[in-house]
Amino acid sequence: MSRFFTTGSDSESESSLSGEELVTKPVGGNYGKQPLLLSEDEEDTKRVVRSAKDKRFEELTNLIRTIRNAMKIRDVTKCLEEFELLGKAYGKAKSIVDKEGVPRFYIRILADLEDYLNELWEDKEGKKKMNKNNAKALSTLRQKIRKYNRDFESHITNYKQNPEQSADEDAEKNEEDSEGSSDEDEDEDGVSAAAFLKKKSEAPSGESRKFLKKMEDDEEDSEDSEDDEDWDTGSTSSDSDSEEEEGKQTVLASRFLKKAPTTEEDKKAAEKKREDKAKKKHDRKSKRLDEEEEDNEGGEWERVRGGVPLVKEKPKMFAKGTEITHAVVIKKLNEILQARGKKGTDRAAQIELLQLLVQIASENNLGEGVIVKIKFNIIASLYDYNPNLATYMKPEMWQKCLDCINELMDILFANPNIFVGENILEESENLHNADQPLRVRGCILTLVERMDEEFTKIMQNTDPHSQEYVEHLKDEAQVCAIIERVQRYLEEKGTTEEICRVYLRRILHTYYKFDYKAHQRQLTPPEGSSKSEQDQAENEGEDSAVLMERLCKYIYAKDRTDRIRTCAILCHIYHHALHSRWYQARDLMLMSHLQDNIQHADPPVQILYNRTMVQLGICAFRQGLTKDAHNALLDIQSSGRAKELLGQGLLLRSLQERNQEQEKVERRRQVPFHLHINLELLECVYLVSAMLLEIPYMAAHESDARRRMISKQFHHQLRVGERQPLLGPPESMREHVVAASKAMKMGDWKTCHSFIINEKMNGKVWDLFPEADKVRTMLVRKIQEESLRTYLFTYSSVYDSISMETLSDMFELDLPTVHSIISKMIINEELMASLDQPTQTVVMHRTEPTAQQNLALQLAEKLGSLVENNERVFDHKQGTYGGYFRDQKDGYRKNEGYMRRGGYRQQQSQTAY
Amino acid sequence: MASRKEGAGSAATSSSSTTGPAGKGKGKGGSGDSAVKQVQIDGLVVLKIIKHYQEEGQGTEVVQGVLLGLVVEDRLEITNCFPFPQHTEDDADFDEVQYQMEMMRSLRHVNIDHLHVGWYQSTYYGSFVTRALLDSQFSYQHAIEESVVLIYDPIKTAQGSLSLKAYRLTPKLMEVCKEKDFSPEALKKGNITFEHMFEEVPIVIKNSHLINVLMWELEKKSAVADKHELLSLASSNHLGKNLQLLMDRVDEMSQDIVKYNTYMRNTSKQQQQKHQYQQRRQQENMQRQSRGEPPLPEEDLSKLFKPPQPPARMDSLLIAGQINTYCQNIKEFTAQNLGKLFMAQALQEYNN
Repeated sequence: MSRFFTTGSDSESESSLSGEELVTKPVGGNYGKQPLLLSEDEEDTKRVVRSAKDKRFEELTNLIRTIRNAMKIRDVTKCLEEFELLGKAYGKAKSIVDKEGVPRFYIRILADLEDYLNELWEDKEGKKKMNKNNAKALSTLRQKIRKYNRDFESHITNYKQNPEQSADEDAEKNEEDSEGSSDEDEDEDGVSAAAFLKKKSEAPSGESRKFLKKMEDDEEDSEDSEDDEDWDTGSTSSDSDSEEEEGKQTVLASRFLKKAPTTEEDKKAAEKKREDKAKKKHDRKSKRLDEEEEDNEGGEWERVRGGVPLVKEKPKMFAKGTEITHAVVIKKLNEILQARGKKGTDRAAQIELLQLLVQIASENNLGEGVIVKIKFNIIASLYDYNPNLATYMKPEMWQKCLDCINELMDILFANPNIFVGENILEESENLHNADQPLRVRGCILTLVERMDEEFTKIMQNTDPHSQEYVEHLKDEAQVCAIIERVQRYLEEKGTTEEICRVYLRRILHTYYKFDYKAHQRQLTPPEGSSKSEQDQAENEGEDSAVLMERLCKYIYAKDRTDRIRTCAILCHIYHHALHSRWYQARDLMLMSHLQDNIQHADPPVQILYNRTMVQLGICAFRQGLTKDAHNALLDIQSSGRAKELLGQGLLLRSLQERNQEQEKVERRRQVPFHLHINLELLECVYLVSAMLLEIPYMAAHESDARRRMISKQFHHQLRVGERQPLLGPPESMREHVVAASKAMKMGDWKTCHSFIINEKMNGKVWDLFPEADKVRTMLVRKIQEESLRTYLFTYSSVYDSISMETLSDMFELDLPTVHSIISKMIINEELMASLDQPTQTVVMHRTEPTAQQNLALQLAEKLGSLVENNERVFDHKQGTYGGYFRDQKDGYRKNEGYMRRGGYRQQQSQTAY
Repeated sequence: MASRKEGAGSAATSSSSTTGPAGKGKGKGGSGDSAVKQVQIDGLVVLKIIKHYQEEGQGTEVVQGVLLGLVVEDRLEITNCFPFPQHTEDDADFDEVQYQMEMMRSLRHVNIDHLHVGWYQSTYYGSFVTRALLDSQFSYQHAIEESVVLIYDPIKTAQGSLSLKAYRLTPKLMEVCKEKDFSPEALKKGNITFEHMFEEVPIVIKNSHLINVLMWELEKKSAVADKHELLSLASSNHLGKNLQLLMDRVDEMSQDIVKYNTYMRNTSKQQQQKHQYQQRRQQENMQRQSRGEPPLPEEDLSKLFKPPQPPARMDSLLIAGQINTYCQNIKEFTAQNLGKLFMAQALQEYNN
């Protein structure tokens, strides 16, 4: 920052803009072949004229270049041609020349050409060697130029007197990269040739120094002597342009007088430019081309009138003479703010200005009120920096923003007498009157909320697999800390509404984090050994569960907007589910009745709801409640769009359906990566629960024609597995589940177990749970039980009776469990059997109908419905149809007839049965 | 196996034992004016059809071919046949007609009967009463009046009794098909029911004496053990399949009826609307008349009330026909099986 202070005066927006031009020119390419010939200077000159002038002058310089080339290779014919063209071009440019004065480069080419021709003319031997065409052209050209130059005699003599100095001046100017330098001084002394040479040698070095960091074209230029020359002409021409504007034909002495102030200014300008360039360098990456162009235009615009504010602002920022008072600073602040949001305002410069103002304010002890006010504005303009909603803050900006908010919070905490509020009007602000409490307009909560959003945006836009993401994620702690501070601040001063809002922010930053500390504490009941450590950990912060409870309860009680409460409930449920408090989570979900009306909520809340449901399902699964898990996950999984529903990515499929705009909106809704729920885990949990439910069900209802699928997706996976022409060992998670299902169908629980729980699946899925081992034991147990059920369903027809002991051996379950499972099956009439207590056997009753009997039963049922349908047709024929036709002629009697008819039919049908 | 039976000279009886009585009755009733009263099939044809299925048909897939022969008096003699080539994806542009012509020309060169007298088709559990069969048989019969379709049931054959039946469309159905109108009214007018769609023509399998002699000769020498498929008691599978198919058809029938029912309802509703409209019109006209105004112009009622599209009844007729076939099959099958079971029981008791 200090860098900017050294140049104080120049931190006006216009200057940096002219710096921008420097960068954009090569990119924009609107200056044709020689984008670099025109240094910044001309661009700052009158814009209206420029395009026309530029065009003409470019034409001229191009022609001149060809002439010079031709001169070098002694192609006089070419020279002649080009000279004629040049004359014409000059004629075209006449109107401009009249306004601007004769361009310097033009004079120079005329002078040089004449010299050159004279030289050739005098060189008798050379002339003899020339071919006929050239010789002829030479004489013509010589005559022509003599005649032509008569018009410019005064200029040429003027030039010839002082070419050397102009060259020197050029070189110097190049080094300084300055603008509007006093080229006027160049004209006086010197001869042509030597100076010319010298200039040539000097120019490249200066140039290369200057453009070292610029595009490579420049380097090429500097290497190529020919191009150099061109460059020089260009620059001289440009110099003369600028000087011509200022009034070229002034007298020598006066010029010298004038020189002093201008150079001083130039130096400042140069410095300013340099720093702008440095700043620009990192900015330019991210800046879009069009934006820059837009800025350019704006910049140029301002430059035209730029003189006035420049003068006006300088004293104030420098504080030379003027006393810095509140009024002045506020006025200045307003001035800066007025530019805000306007097209062409340089936002970066604005931030700089504001920061400078803070500095000045604090230096001059203007009081905290002013500083707070300015800080608010700095943060606001930091947010404003990106004009586009989709783009995110740059790291530096972000850091600056965080710092700023922290500082602001510091001040606010340090000065409890400052009142901050949105509702404080501009007029009723009290920034400096120390007797009364200070009142500042602005809302810290809004700023923090915006900051949080920016953070989300940054996370959304960072590649989640890069180191960068981790770096950004580290800021999360900072964000949390700020939110916590704001929370503390608002708890003292804010309204309930504000507290609710900030609580929600806090909740949103808490709910998805697994509280390992609390978990650890739970696992190891307080013992002497590691107690001290734990105490420390405990002291660091309350349990997230307690915290959530407290925050959410407050919101439930105090919140008036439905949205915050809904979000809070969902987060609360999520948090419960994440920490395996299934019953609390479920009860909260059921009590909230969110399932009924969630479809009316806005998409982000719906995404949160989906996330919560998924978490709930996974929680149920961990508790061994397969059915609940399946039900919770069914909605999300059955759609096949889990990714989209959870806001964890866009589907490619619907890419055609939505347009650009929608996609942007959807992209903004995405949940940052560190909040993601593992989709494979989700699917695995779903499929395994489906397997545990579906396989026994399938076995029980094998011959039932009307059996329904419990899970379509699971069946789909099974079918996919069946379609495989060659079945290798399972690779993916799905294949594992399918293979396990097949084993389970046969009642082979060991194989099933080995498919579900093995190295691969551990790595892919099970290890992702916080209590992986517990889940695994639960799963094994479930598999054993369900396999037993499946076995009994499938093979009961083979047995007359079966010993429970055998079963308990087969499935490695203890006898009571087997007993209870079988009893349950018998009670539910799933298994036609009875238990023989003394011998501990299951006796099958064999009342199940055979396949043929089943079929016959179904057929009978179907025939029944067929007959019914048929009868209906029959009714139709006898009733309405007949009645209608009979009574068609007489409308009045129709009804009667119909009724009679109907009655008759009824009788008939009664007798028929 | 089949050849042995034919060789035994009981070919005609064996086939007519299953198909004869029913076929004859229908044949007489349905086609009184048809020239052909009987189909006489050469043993060669039977063997060729069986071979064709054995080689190419499997499961629900169906094989088809062309029958060649000629009409002698009231007899259709089928003396030869050749299969249609199986369709594959790569020869989509295969010209079937061309192939048939080529085949017949070639056969003529070797002095074989080359007159087209119909076609044959294999079937899966007797499910042959389909629209496709109806259409192609219609086109055959339209072109060659005496042509028949031979239905070969490989599954039944594998159980021990050769199942080969000859069918043709009844003249009534031919009339309807020519009209191409399958609306309920048309069918009603045509007096078509599912029983009167196809008529079965009695079949006689006949071999030349030379072959008969050869068969006798071979039977003595043959070392092939006696086949007992006929006595197989494992019947549940077959029955199950039949039931399943029957069930599917019943389902279809049910749907069809529902469709028809909806149509009926729609029609009657519209009639009512139409009637109401007319009434209103009439009343208005009366009023107008009393006021001395001219009556409203007559409007085309059919434009105002477009009658709903009647559902094509042919499908339901076909389904009914198919159900009938299944029922016949099951009846036949169960009757035979019951007989077998009683036999087995008796045998067991005898042994004990």
